Amino acid sequence: MSVERINVIWLQGQGCTGDTVSIAGATYPSLTDILNGFLPQAMGITLQYHPTLMLPHGEEAQKSLKAAVKGELDPFVLILEGSIPDESLAKKTNGFWCMMGEEEGKLMTFNDWLDRLAEKAAAVVAVGTCAAYGGIPHGSPNPTGAKGAYQYFGKDWKSKLGIPVICIPGCPAQGDHMTETLTHLVLTVRGLLPPPALDKYNRPLFIFEHLVHENCPRAGFFACGKYSKEFGEPYCMGLLGCKGPITHCDVPRRGFIDGIGGCPTIGSICIGCTEPEFPDGPFSPVFKKAPPGVFASEAVRDILGKIYALLHRLKRRKI
Amino acid sequence: MESKNKVIFIEPLTRIEGHLGIHAVADTEAKKYTDAHAYAPMFRGFEIILKGREPADAIWLTQRICGVCPTPHGLASVECVDMTYQAPPPPFAVAIRDFTLIGEQLYDSPLGCGILQGPDYCETVVKKFNSEWWSEAQGRKAERSDLHGYSTIADIMTALTPFTGSLWLKCLQMAKLGRKMNIIFGAKHPHVGTFIPGGVAKTVTVSDLEMFASMLSQHIAFAKELTAAFDDLLDFLIDVGYDNAGVRENDLISYGAYDDPYAYNANYEDMGEWGEKRSVSPGVIINGELVTTDLIEINLGVREFVAHSYYEEWTEKDLEKDPLGNEIAVEHPWNKETRPKPSSPKNWSEKYSWATAPRWHDWKNKVNGELNVVEAGPIARLWVTAKAKKVPESTGNSLKFTLPKANVLGFKVSEELTLEWKIPKNVNAIERLRARAYYHAYSAYVAYNLLLAALEMVKKGEAKIWNPYKRPKNGIGVGLVEAMRGALGHWCVMRNGKIHRYQVITPTTWNASPRDLNENLGPYEKAIVESPITEPIESELNGIDVVRVVRSFDPCLACTVHVYHGKSKIVKEVSPFVNVPK
Repeated sequence: MSVERINVIWLQGQGCTGDTVSIAGATYPSLTDILNGFLPQAMGITLQYHPTLMLPHGEEAQKSLKAAVKGELDPFVLILEGSIPDESLAKKTNGFWCMMGEEEGKLMTFNDWLDRLAEKAAAVVAVGTCAAYGGIPHGSPNPTGAKGAYQYFGKDWKSKLGIPVICIPGCPAQGDHMTETLTHLVLTVRGLLPPPALDKYNRPLFIFEHLVHENCPRAGFFACGKYSKEFGEPYCMGLLGCKGPITHCDVPRRGFIDGIGGCPTIGSICIGCTEPEFPDGPFSPVFKKAPPGVFASEAVRDILGKIYALLHRLKRRKI
Repeated sequence: MESKNKVIFIEPLTRIEGHLGIHAVADTEAKKYTDAHAYAPMFRGFEIILKGREPADAIWLTQRICGVCPTPHGLASVECVDMTYQAPPPPFAVAIRDFTLIGEQLYDSPLGCGILQGPDYCETVVKKFNSEWWSEAQGRKAERSDLHGYSTIADIMTALTPFTGSLWLKCLQMAKLGRKMNIIFGAKHPHVGTFIPGGVAKTVTVSDLEMFASMLSQHIAFAKELTAAFDDLLDFLIDVGYDNAGVRENDLISYGAYDDPYAYNANYEDMGEWGEKRSVSPGVIINGELVTTDLIEINLGVREFVAHSYYEEWTEKDLEKDPLGNEIAVEHPWNKETRPKPSSPKNWSEKYSWATAPRWHDWKNKVNGELNVVEAGPIARLWVTAKAKKVPESTGNSLKFTLPKANVLGFKVSEELTLEWKIPKNVNAIERLRARAYYHAYSAYVAYNLLLAALEMVKKGEAKIWNPYKRPKNGIGVGLVEAMRGALGHWCVMRNGKIHRYQVITPTTWNASPRDLNENLGPYEKAIVESPITEPIESELNGIDVVRVVRSFDPCLACTVHVYHGKSKIVKEVSPFVNVPK
């Protein structure tokens, strides 16, 4: 299999196009950097199908999906945006939740295309929390039986190249999270990097290892006991409902676009949008404080850390 | 015997937000389209997911209806919840909300003009389908080249080519900058995090305002180029006769945008007054004439029908009267119950879309006393604002404003520039696009004035961003704002502190609506009918004219079917599929 050229197929299910908008805001590398091949090792990436950005429409647009199913676009990365509904529920009344054209007079659902393409894909990447874990459409009572790729394919599923579903959650996923992961995969396929290490929910650790709370510019205020009591104050947002202590994400530190923004960073609160349970408990109601248990365990670690630091301050320095 | 009628399906209809399918019937002898159905093929069920949650949660959740235009959802929702909780924000917070919305509009207009719709008139497409336009465009000098730098119309067409054209690339860059302006205050985009009942969750410093001002200066400079380039391109398309594409009645709706910080008080009884103080006026236009500018009257005239949509009817009335004692119709969103019932696709005589059919009832019987099919979008906003004379820039038949001087590297014009958007003869595909480009300029102009007002507030020590509130147990609210694509409404009924009912009608629901109970066509459908076929008529039609017409509305389908998803399809196409040039 040649890796000179790597094709990308971007499929949208029950989504809002937020991840597409978000990737257009990525900076290092940007979407155009990737499509233009910003360095020799990252060249040869072709966006074969993207419903929002492509020039053709209709049947002409669908040609590349058919080509991918036939193996003509190998190797290709399948990117999913939006959740995957349970079409068997809609079929009960001869309907559908998410239709994607037809083939020889037969209705094609998003799921039909997904199943065909996933089988042939070199890797499947779920961008955004909907595609990863079901996100908003799977919020209780989940009227359409929506799932993310993590549940739909299962944690142990492997692509043709032996890569599990890679999840880049976030509502939407942060732009650079997507472009960095895609570039990482390209470099992996070309033997320049090992596959990205993943956490238990298949999130790349290089992005999602630490908590919002740990990455927060306001954590210094937290450490010295300063809490915002009203919105607008510059301190820790924990008492106003921030879910930073139970959410894995580095947006507070890296910003949302080109270093600007970030949820608790600017005075808002984290709502846990990168977690599989989002938007249900423990992440809702939005203004509900994170469970006290987290703060208790954090307090214990804090005390141990202070004792450790105190003891080490008394020692003679080594360097 | 070959029929002169050809049926085409366009699915997926690309370069729009979400899933949309179009079924159109073409008369190849008369060279025009004679029938059309628009269908939204995706459903998620937001109204159902929202039930039983806290109203404030809707401010976050409903933005997820649409990743292209989330901020207006957040704003409609926060105004709806302000009213439900009776939690008015301080004036500075209203200005911050306006800045957040304007940032999004400054992204969304270049996105629409340059990335989503502009490429329909780019070199590749024009050469392929309208080769005679191309030769004419090559010889046509661009009148406003001193403002935008392109010497011929063909140069503008080349500049709109995806991924390589200079205008396409600049629109992408300016769209990103608009989003950065949005997140200075909004934390993240899509799906801003700072709209809260009674204000904003933002620690505002002078750095924020300075950063915003610096980015705004670029958009002010860009607006002078964007309007000029589109004026030249669109005037050319009118000259080649394309203004007969996408024509429909001059029936329009706008809820108004950009609140006056000192007028907005989240109080339903005063909604008519603070609505009229907005920089973009609310109003309904029937046959080109202004019927009302009163948001209360506009709100109470909203109806929603599901005769051709995959939902069951609802017949119960929860609310009889509004807080002023006016009757609330059973078809009004305050009484609507979302009951999805999936059924078979493309059943034109029965149900065929996940979109509903909103209509505006002239309930005060000012013009016809009927249910009107109205269109939403930038053309509706500018038309209403130009007619209404509620703002100093409104002349009664145009909107005239002066963009300030802005010296910014990389842009052609630094001097101040007066722009005038004139009410066109009718609504069509060309004028929808022009209005979108001018709305960018007007938004930049509003932002500049508002920024000066915000600095004044800081100087006077009035930079408060939040009023703490107590949640009542019961209440109702409505939030009526403008997304780029048009009028966006959220309605909430709260019982025991929880959402009893939450309804959303998006601009694309107005525009993409299927037929209603009286078999009146929705705006997309109506605009396709009678539109010309300009592509060469060979064995199969590509449908380029249909997609140009539909895209002129800037469809945002995730919005529409807050729960469905669809695509459209064209019957046959032979040319090789060319993607990102590389």
